[in-house]
Amino acid sequence: MLSPELLASAIRMAVPIIITAVGAIYSERSGIVNIGLEGMMIVGAFAGAAGGVFLGPFGGILVGMLAGAFMALIHAYASIQFKVDQIVSGTAINILAYGLVRFAAISIFRMATTTPHVDHLPAITVPLLAGIPWLKPILTHVSPLVFVAFLLVPLTAWIMNRTVFGLRLRSVGEYPLAAETLGVNVYLMKYSGVIISGALAGLSGAYLSVEHTGMYVEGMTQGLGFIALAAMIFGNWKPGGAMLAGLLFGFAQALSFRLVSEAIPFQFIKMIPYLLTIVVLAGWSRRSRPPAAAGVPYERGESA
Amino acid sequence: MNAQLPRSKAAKRLALLEKFSPVLAVLVAMAVASIALIIIGKNPLVVYGTMFYFAFGRMDSIANILYKATPLIFAGIACAVGFRVGLFNIGVEGQYLIGVLCAASVGFAVKGLPVYIHLPLTILAGAAGGALWALVPIWLKLKRGVHEVITTIMLNHTAFLFVQFLVAGPLMDKTQVIGPAGGGFGSLRARTPALLPTARMPDLHGTLEKIGINFPAGSVNWFLILALLAAVGLWYLLWKTPFGLELRAVGHNPKAAETAGIRSNAVIFRTFLLSGAVAGLAGLSDLLGYFGYLDIDFPRNFGFTGIAVALVGRNGAVGIVLASVLFGFLSRGGMGILIIEKVPMETYYILQGLIILCIVMASEVIRRYARAQQKKEEASANA
Repeated sequence: MLSPELLASAIRMAVPIIITAVGAIYSERSGIVNIGLEGMMIVGAFAGAAGGVFLGPFGGILVGMLAGAFMALIHAYASIQFKVDQIVSGTAINILAYGLVRFAAISIFRMATTTPHVDHLPAITVPLLAGIPWLKPILTHVSPLVFVAFLLVPLTAWIMNRTVFGLRLRSVGEYPLAAETLGVNVYLMKYSGVIISGALAGLSGAYLSVEHTGMYVEGMTQGLGFIALAAMIFGNWKPGGAMLAGLLFGFAQALSFRLVSEAIPFQFIKMIPYLLTIVVLAGWSRRSRPPAAAGVPYERGESA
Repeated sequence: MNAQLPRSKAAKRLALLEKFSPVLAVLVAMAVASIALIIIGKNPLVVYGTMFYFAFGRMDSIANILYKATPLIFAGIACAVGFRVGLFNIGVEGQYLIGVLCAASVGFAVKGLPVYIHLPLTILAGAAGGALWALVPIWLKLKRGVHEVITTIMLNHTAFLFVQFLVAGPLMDKTQVIGPAGGGFGSLRARTPALLPTARMPDLHGTLEKIGINFPAGSVNWFLILALLAAVGLWYLLWKTPFGLELRAVGHNPKAAETAGIRSNAVIFRTFLLSGAVAGLAGLSDLLGYFGYLDIDFPRNFGFTGIAVALVGRNGAVGIVLASVLFGFLSRGGMGILIIEKVPMETYYILQGLIILCIVMASEVIRRYARAQQKKEEASANA
C-alpha cells in the first residue's frame, strides 16, 4: 500500500495545502482570520493559467501570486481599515472570486469554466538521490514549487521566531495595544500578514493550474483553501505542524485517487478529505491555541 | 443599537442614514463593479440600464424575480437566525441540498396519501433534513470546540457528493425513456423519479389572476406565500417570544446572558437547528414548485446568497424580503445583460461579493459618524 508512487502522489497533493496553510500563518499570527483563502486560491489558479497562456509558466506563477495578493488586499482593507467581521469579509472574497474568475474567463477566453492548456515550469530531477529506486518516483520530474513549498516551512519558522518582522507580527496578533505602545506599526504588520497569505494562496492556486493540471478548471480548488486553514489549526499555528497536517491531508487525497478502482462509489472516496478534516479538528480543537487577538478588530488609539 | 439615543436632530439623521445604508451600499457596489464592465469595453450605464429595463419592463421578469426571491427568503432567514445568536451558518448550502434530498425521497417514494397530508409531510421532510445536517456542526462546536465555519464548509462538499451519489445511483429513475423521445442523449439522466402530483406545490398564477395580476409565465408558487409567512414568523420569534429574547441576549453577549440565567449553549443549539430547518426549506420551491424531481444540476448557491441577503436585510424580516427581491432582480437582470448586451451574467456574483463588503463597511462608517457626532455633542454640552 505504501508504495513510493503513492508517497509521490501524496506530496504533490500536499503542496497546495502546505503553501496555503503556511501562508495562513502570516495572516492569523497578525490577528486576521483569513477565511477567503479559498477565493484567493481560485483567483490564483485562474490568473496563473491565464498569465501562463500569455507570459509562459514563470510569468503565470507570478501573476497568480499577484492576483492572490490583490484579493488579500481587499480583505485586509475591509477588516483592518473598516474593522469588518473578518469571516463575513472572507466569505465576500470567496463569492467575489467565483464571480470575477468566471467573468474574466468568459471575457478573455470565451469559456466560463476553463482556460487553454499552459506549459509547466521546467521539472527538476534531483541528481544522485533519484537513482535510489525507492526515491525515484518522489524525486524525478518534480515541480520546482514542491521544493519551494518545503523550503517555505523552515523559512517561515525562522521568520516567525528569529526576525524582528516575525516578532512584531506575532506581537500584533497577541496583544496589539502593547505592540503599538512599543512603537510597532500595527496596521502595517496586519496588512503585511494578510497580503503575504494572499500571495502564497495565489501561488498555491497557480501550482494547481500551471503545475498540477496544466490548465484552469472551475472547481479545481475543491475546498483546499478551507482544508489548508484546518491544517494550520491542526498544526497549532506553526509552520512545521502545518506541514505535517498538510502531508496528512495530501496523503488522504492521494489515497482517495488510488481507491477509485475499488468497489466503493467514487463520491464516498471524494468525501474522505472533508470528513478527515472534520474528524481531525474534532479531536484537536480543544488543545489548539490560536493567537490571542485573532479575529478581534484593532482600533488605533482606542485604549481599553 | 438597543440604547435609545436622545432624539436630537443628529440622532434622527443618523437613524435615517442607518436605514438607507443598504441602498447606499448597493449603489457603491454597482459603481465599483463598473470597473469590470469598463475593462471589457462596456458602458456601465447602458449595462445597468438594460438590467433595469429587462427586469422591470416585462411581466414575466417580475414573476421570475419573485420566483428567484422565494428560496433566498428562506436562506436569508436561516442565515439571519444564526447571525442573531452569534453563529455563522455558512452551511445553509449543504443543509438545503439535504433538505431537498429528503423531500424528494418522501415526494416520490411515499404513495397513496392525499395531497393535504403528502405535501405537508414532504415539506416537513425538507426541514428535517436541513436540521439533521445542522446537527453535526453545532454538536461539534458545543462539545468539541470546533468552529462552525470549517465544519459546515466541509459538510457542504460532503452533502453535494452524497446527493450526487444517490441521484446517480440508488435513487436514480431507472424507468426513464432513453433517446430522443425522452429528451435524453442515449443514457439515463442522473435524477430521481418524478415526484407524485400529491407532493407538488401548486402555482400561484390562478389565484393571482383572480385578483387581477396576470403573470404570463414563470413559476411563482405557494412557497412565495410560505416564505413571506416565514419572514413574519422570524419577526414574531425574535421580538414577541421569550425564546427570541433569549436568542438575542445570547447573540449580544453569551456570558451576560448566562449571568441572567439563560443557558447559552442550549439556546445556541436550538437556534442552529432552527436555522438548519429553515435552510432545509430553501430548495423546496424549485423542487416541488418547478422541477418535480431532483437531479445533479439542481440550483446551487442559495446558501451563499442567503448570507448576502441576511446582511443586506440587517437580519430583520422586512429587510430580508426586500433583499431577496433585490438579489432576484440582480439575477434576472444578469440574464438580461447576457442576452442583450453579451455581458457575462457572472456580473451578478461580482455584485454579490461587493455588496456584502460594502454593506459591512457602510455600517462601520456610520458607527464612526455616530461617534464623531456624539463627541461633538459632548463638547458643545461641556462648553
